[in-house]
Amino acid sequence: MRYVGKRHAIVALAFFASSIAARAQDDSAFLREIETKYVFGFTEGSGIGLEGEKEFSVDTEARLGKGGTRYWGSESKLEFEFTPNQYVQFEFGPFVSTHSIKNVADLDDRQQMTFGGVFGEMRYLLLDRGPSSPLALTFSIEPEWRRIDETSGAVVNNAELEVKLNADLELVKNRLYLGSNLLYEPEATQDPDHVGAGWAMESKGGGSLALAYRILPPILIGVDAWYLRHYDGAWFNTFTGDAIYVGPTLFMQLNPKAFITAAWEVQVHGSDVDDPNAKLNLSEFSRQRAKLKLAVEF
Amino acid sequence: MRWTILLTALSMTLAGLTAGAQAQEASVSISVKNHQFQPAQISAPANVPIVLHVKNLDSTPMEFESVSLRVEKVVVGNGEGIIRLRPLSPGRYNFFDDFHQETNGVLVVR
Repeated sequence: MRYVGKRHAIVALAFFASSIAARAQDDSAFLREIETKYVFGFTEGSGIGLEGEKEFSVDTEARLGKGGTRYWGSESKLEFEFTPNQYVQFEFGPFVSTHSIKNVADLDDRQQMTFGGVFGEMRYLLLDRGPSSPLALTFSIEPEWRRIDETSGAVVNNAELEVKLNADLELVKNRLYLGSNLLYEPEATQDPDHVGAGWAMESKGGGSLALAYRILPPILIGVDAWYLRHYDGAWFNTFTGDAIYVGPTLFMQLNPKAFITAAWEVQVHGSDVDDPNAKLNLSEFSRQRAKLKLAVEF
Repeated sequence: MRWTILLTALSMTLAGLTAGAQAQEASVSISVKNHQFQPAQISAPANVPIVLHVKNLDSTPMEFESVSLRVEKVVVGNGEGIIRLRPLSPGRYNFFDDFHQETNGVLVVR
């Protein structure tokens, strides 16, 4: 009986897979180019939108798990994005910060949702993808001001600058894409321990690789991997720990003017200078992280 | 006095460059009728700015859109839209009407 059930499941799965493949094949002539910016999860593609395009989105990034009973910290950006010409894109908006923390070492218990700060972003297209070149490259710079610490949820005065190189390569035309980011992110927090110590500087650096495959014209699935390093000091001064994240990604075009993108990643390896026996770094990074973005163009 | 001469020379240089750039612009026209591009394939020279005139001969609005050209523009019914494209490398650039997804066309750059 179990064998018959298994066989039915395999036949159904094969039928489902073949119908997807057949549909994808049928649609291959009609597959249009896609904007690659949001197809790689946490890795950002090179897309800068289309001249004249405006977009509003809710973009939530959550950090989950730091040991203890419960840890959730998230920021939801309420983004307005526009592309004034064929080379530059701008984004800006406020973000909402949410924390739910219970019995986590070095962090106060907290249950809150509040205005977290503001951000802006400029993206400049360095290398254009064209019929003869499958590679595209974008430089992005994103200043942020925070009034809520993204890890602890405490009230702070924090400034951060996220600098990125976003590259992607079209491996199979309109089907398979490889994305990669290089990250440098210095930040400064005014007297974080309230002891009159002035500004505390730290920085994060890292790189990513991601693959996205278009299984149906409006749907891409893939995998995203990040290697991140954390330092005290704004210029990678003193190494404190690192982490590797890996996880699946999803991009779905809901209609010509709306899409959703989601990603979930798990820390699979990490190191902490203060805890040489640790297999993960849970002091600077979370056990898992997730991203969900819903966007509407107009 | 020296500043006046310098500014005059600079503005003349810029004006010359602009005039030169405008002289090298390519102008291309396409129409939309019964939700079909006419012609469905247009061509333009490579590596010069392109001015694309899109005439909508239908009574309903259309949205000219292309990811590879990186533009989108709504053209009202019985209206005309002007789209300025950056210099393009040789190849085929697909476009479509985002309000009528079956309306497709291609720009061939040589």
